[in-house]
Amino acid sequence: MSEPMKSSKTGHVLEIRDVAVHFGGRGGLLGKSGPVVKAVNGVDLDIARGETVALVGESGCGKSTLSNAIVGLQAPISGSVRISGDEVVGASRRELNDIRRKVQMIFQDPALSLDPRSTVGATIGEPLIVRGVAKGKALKERVATLLQQVGLRPEHADRYPHQFSGGQRQRVVIARALALEPDLLICDEPVSALDVSVRAQILNLLVALQKRTGVSYLFVSHDLGVVRHICDRVVVMYLGRFVEMADRDTFFANPKHPYTKALMSAVPEADPEVQRAKQRFILSGELPSPSNIPSGCAFHTRCPLATEICSRERPELTPRADGARVACHHA
Amino acid sequence: MDAAANPLLSVDRLTIDIGGANVVDDISFTVAPGKVMALVGESGCGKSLTSYAMLGLLPPAATRTAGRIMLENTDLAALSERQFRKARGKDMSIIFQEPSASLDPLTTVGSQIAEAYRVHHGVSKADAYEKARQMLVDVGIPDPTRRLDQYPFELSGGMCQRIMISIALICGPRVLVADEPTTALDVTIQAQILDLMKKLVADRGTAIVLITHDMGVVADIADDVAVMYAGRIAEIAPVHDLFRQPKHPYTALLLASVPKLDDAPKTDLATIEGTVPTPNEFGVGCRFTERCPLATEKCRTEQPPLFDCGAGHRSACWHIDRMAEIREVAA
Repeated sequence: MSEPMKSSKTGHVLEIRDVAVHFGGRGGLLGKSGPVVKAVNGVDLDIARGETVALVGESGCGKSTLSNAIVGLQAPISGSVRISGDEVVGASRRELNDIRRKVQMIFQDPALSLDPRSTVGATIGEPLIVRGVAKGKALKERVATLLQQVGLRPEHADRYPHQFSGGQRQRVVIARALALEPDLLICDEPVSALDVSVRAQILNLLVALQKRTGVSYLFVSHDLGVVRHICDRVVVMYLGRFVEMADRDTFFANPKHPYTKALMSAVPEADPEVQRAKQRFILSGELPSPSNIPSGCAFHTRCPLATEICSRERPELTPRADGARVACHHA
Repeated sequence: MDAAANPLLSVDRLTIDIGGANVVDDISFTVAPGKVMALVGESGCGKSLTSYAMLGLLPPAATRTAGRIMLENTDLAALSERQFRKARGKDMSIIFQEPSASLDPLTTVGSQIAEAYRVHHGVSKADAYEKARQMLVDVGIPDPTRRLDQYPFELSGGMCQRIMISIALICGPRVLVADEPTTALDVTIQAQILDLMKKLVADRGTAIVLITHDMGVVADIADDVAVMYAGRIAEIAPVHDLFRQPKHPYTALLLASVPKLDDAPKTDLATIEGTVPTPNEFGVGCRFTERCPLATEKCRTEQPPLFDCGAGHRSACWHIDRMAEIREVAA
């Protein structure tokens, strides 16, 4: 940490330009070349300070691969990822170490994210020790403050993960992620593994922490109800590309891409009257393999609006009158 | 409840003990042909144990200590293991959350479906395969002849769940127990599977006992709902009544903690403080007491019976008349 951190000129905590992540294809087993899996295929995204952006899509759409590329766990084959102005792609290990202070990640299952043999105090304090931020009494105090910030008590520091419920464990994970005061927190399905009554507690906590610290969230989720509640902006991903992005109100009031509409109609509303009166728009078939992405618009094989041009020409993300950007020939 | 008029399955005062605690305590409900009864609740509420008891699949540590499970005039709970083997698959069957974990990875799906039929019917392999092929058509799998020869790993999660449903339904059972059948699936695939289940109920008159934690799924498909908490039924009602007019604080708070369409973003969701009690924390009174905003001394010391609120709506709460207060807390 010898160099001072550069700050972004634009004030964005995250700037992604034309990022692509591919797997396989060369030097496979016995030197054979396998199929190339195009997990992420050229995406652009900015996140402002204090903003929450939701990344929505089905399993296999590339949302986790993109998250990994942002924190430098997965090297893109092309493009640029900047965290608060610092380039992640091509960064040396030392540079990457510095950048990772600014971006942290939490995952779906808190039980898998915690070391069962470390007390939660040691777990939360570890990043502070590793970075030389605090030690001794100061460290203890910092851990106590973090525990309180996530709604736990200072004396919980001496306990082990198995002594906590699922919701409490996710609080510990959040405390650890916030220990270094990151600019960006990537939340990969943070409440999907939790019980319904606990889910609301964690969502409230994430909102409150953002209000207090100004941290930005990239919120990866398939639950549009949760997304609608917590996000400022929504991005929909399909087979490695963004097909629609819009601010929250525009997105939910006026979804445009047929895939977005299908996703919305598929999420069951927790109200039998609304749910049963809803106009259904059920997709046939399943997500094609990312190693064999359909030509033109990747969605054309499942799209009810598809015409000849859709299989020939890939639609670009283009801005619409209400500010939404949509990649569709017909929307 | 209309199910009460002509029940196909009736669970009557079922009680299951693990290590001296009643983890399922005095559960009663009925299901009529062609109806869907949802058992809803959080982890540890006893909904899965209840369903396993219906199929004689209780784990060795669990014992049924009281109650009957009547399939028309047969008490399933009194059957020997040999008799149960005859009933399972033929009269009642079950599908689980994780279809890939339920299928044999080393056997083709065709042989797995055909086996289920041959166990109960003395037919040739070729006839059983033909039956399996028809079943695949019924569950909406395209190109069934080719699919029969494939192994589970060659199929997607949604496809595997359709195979599980085929195995469960090939002998035409009258009751299907579905334990979180769509929890592991993407929302667009979940919508397909729920529609398939609705169609099967309508076409074949199968009664479904649906175990879920997802209020959206309940709103979509259930006719009646039993909300379970810590081994007991907190509230049981026809689906519209339950959502419109919950009469147990737990149900009301659970519904309020799910983000709604018209919620303002980033506002606090209603939460249920604390966590579900473990069986050794069960008190003598209402098991929701510690987390209930309406709780009084009576709740702590006396277990509330299921009070009849009319029209098949029953609630185990001493303070049904104070539900307006909960709606204020939840708002």
